[in-house]
Amino acid sequence: MLSINHLHAGINGEEILKGLNLEIGAGEVHAIMGPNGAGKSTLSKVLAGREEYVVTEGSVRFLGQDLLALEPEERAHLGIFMAFQYPVELPGVNNTYFLQTSLNAIRTARGEEPLNSLNFMKQVRSKLRELNMDESLLRRSVNTGFSGGEMKRNEILQMSLLEPKLAILDETDSGLDIDALRIVADGVNALRSPERSMLVITHYQRLLDYIQPDYVHVLSNGRIIRSGDKSLALELEEKGYGWIKAQEAAA
Amino acid sequence: MSAMVAGTARADLLLQHFRSLADTSKPHHALALKAQTALHALPLPKRKQESWRYTPLPVLFEQAWEPKPAATTAALSVQQVAALALGDTDGCRIVLHNGVWLPALSQVPSGVSVLPLAQALADDTVVGSVSGPGRHLFAALNAAMAHDGVVIRVAAGPDPEQKLEILHVNSGLASGWLVQPRVVLVLEDGAQLSLSEQYLGHDDASAGLYNGMTEILLGRGARLAHARLQNEADPHRHLNALYLRQQADSAYTGTTLAMGGLWSRSEFHVSFAAAGAHCELNGFYLSGGQQSHDLQLDIVHGVPGCSSTERFKGILSGRGRAAFDGIILVQPDAQKTDARLSNDNLLLSRQAEIDTRPQLEIYADDVQCSHGTTVGQIDAEMLFYLRSRGIPRDQAVNMVCKGFAGEILQTCRSEVLQQRAQALLEQRLAGVLAGMA
Ligand SMILES: Nc1ncnc2c1ncn2[C@@H]1O[C@H](COP(=O)(O)OP(=O)(O)OP(=O)(O)O)[C@@H](O)[C@H]1O
Ligand SMILES: [Mg+2]
Repeated sequence: MLSINHLHAGINGEEILKGLNLEIGAGEVHAIMGPNGAGKSTLSKVLAGREEYVVTEGSVRFLGQDLLALEPEERAHLGIFMAFQYPVELPGVNNTYFLQTSLNAIRTARGEEPLNSLNFMKQVRSKLRELNMDESLLRRSVNTGFSGGEMKRNEILQMSLLEPKLAILDETDSGLDIDALRIVADGVNALRSPERSMLVITHYQRLLDYIQPDYVHVLSNGRIIRSGDKSLALELEEKGYGWIKAQEAAA
Repeated sequence: MSAMVAGTARADLLLQHFRSLADTSKPHHALALKAQTALHALPLPKRKQESWRYTPLPVLFEQAWEPKPAATTAALSVQQVAALALGDTDGCRIVLHNGVWLPALSQVPSGVSVLPLAQALADDTVVGSVSGPGRHLFAALNAAMAHDGVVIRVAAGPDPEQKLEILHVNSGLASGWLVQPRVVLVLEDGAQLSLSEQYLGHDDASAGLYNGMTEILLGRGARLAHARLQNEADPHRHLNALYLRQQADSAYTGTTLAMGGLWSRSEFHVSFAAAGAHCELNGFYLSGGQQSHDLQLDIVHGVPGCSSTERFKGILSGRGRAAFDGIILVQPDAQKTDARLSNDNLLLSRQAEIDTRPQLEIYADDVQCSHGTTVGQIDAEMLFYLRSRGIPRDQAVNMVCKGFAGEILQTCRSEVLQQRAQALLEQRLAGVLAGMA
């Protein structure tokens, strides 16, 4: 589904991703862990199409297409969704209006009929219940004045509405209380299917108890330096990143 | 050099022109006489004067504006009025066509009385009581030639939801026109009103200057919600000075939207007579193409215990310009004043220009005051967020702009006015985006 080859990317002339390789097959869940500043969010943003980041080398193919040649909205139409580590506040933009505009843009791109307000509200209300979100959040401006946890839930709400083919979750678990973590994980698990892949970025092994990954990767200094199964996350939890970095340096 | 001489000579001629207009208007009332005297001492506005520095004066001085007869016979029809009116005031409206009150097309709620200005001038000292004879040439010109307009009095009544709209339609005059009405609104002690005003050009194609004046007196405990949309026709110049005087415990909540015309200047002069009064001024301006909007605030806290909030936002595109000049003066006696002033601007093009000067002058020590200004382009993070959700770039820009403006638009008490402004904004943004593509 997603094939990243030798990817080099940076910002303001500084290279952050330094030859990153990653293959994600359909239906697979991959977790990425790694120290602060390693380039995890950079990778998500490059995949979602943030223009500020410049790709200097390498390629990314998604469902057989050259992903890097596409505009951010075209990537979303193809089925890429990134839950932001730091969701953006949109003052004055009503959350319901935003969600409906987004969903209908994607439905239209997929060749489906746009939903009218009535059907949209039905759908969004049932998702809200699943995510245990307060309906009042719909009436507010997007993310404006939302608590950290409310923002993260709003990201998951968008994901479950848009039903992407590849969901990239950038530290969606950070800042969530224990109950919210459970709810978010349930939301993610509900979307798991043989056609849908996920890239879950996290610092905490706990999330991976709820969302069982097929693969765990360590991203450090702009590259994936180790890949394994779920046991790698447990090992990292215990020993930190030092030992892998040391092995990597020695190799 | 010769251009400058020519310019100075022209300025002198214009000044003479305006003074003689006032002289030949032969007024009999005290206000006009005072204003005439003032007029002879006032210069033509110049760039050297702070409050006229950032506005393109050549546009204002392009012609020797003067009262003109109607070029077309078209009076306003009932149908036109119905189409232009907001229609959310139970039919209560006052129509001023080219400044002239049309009683046949007007109707006011019970508890509200309307007098033609010319009649009120003879025996009512309220006219000019807040504005004085005028501080600059155009204000004095309006006072010196005072004739058109209305005096509206609102008594305290059982219905707190009283609504009224004023339609100012400027159309059908020969090019070079000058229209100078004055609206005086008096809310008696405890009175309440929701007032919407529209200044409309109605697709008019002739250049002219609307030089209006609004005087508002709020009695003790009176409350006024005031929504105003300036959507003059493309070649119109629009100048309006709003003078507001508030008695104890009165509340004014106003939203002014400057969207139309080639050139506009909106002045707000606010003063408080006694403690406990609150004034909230919200404003939004949209300058595109060659447009220029000028916002002038002069808020004087002269007595203790009053509060004011001034929140203005603007979107500028093309070669659009705007000037925001806002001063809040807190005098030594005005302890416990709470005053907040903000001005935020969104620039959609490199050629657009905004000059913003918020100022606080505080001479009392026990006060809460703040001011802030921002000027920026559309936030790239916001655009990316929207686009990453499948929303095309143009639509994303549109949403961010509408959100930015929406925080002001939604303060309009009249929902119909708000929707109209929203639709106008949308239409203008679509034009801007099509031009950018
Ligand atoms: N806009 C930017 N300008 C300059 N440097 C940047 C910019 N964005 C990211 N960087 C730098 O790139 C590096 C990688 O950042 P990134 O956000 O990808 O890290 P991360 O792995 O997501 O870290 P964390 O775990 O803290 O979220 C950091 O050193 C960061 O400071
Ligand atoms: Mg990060």
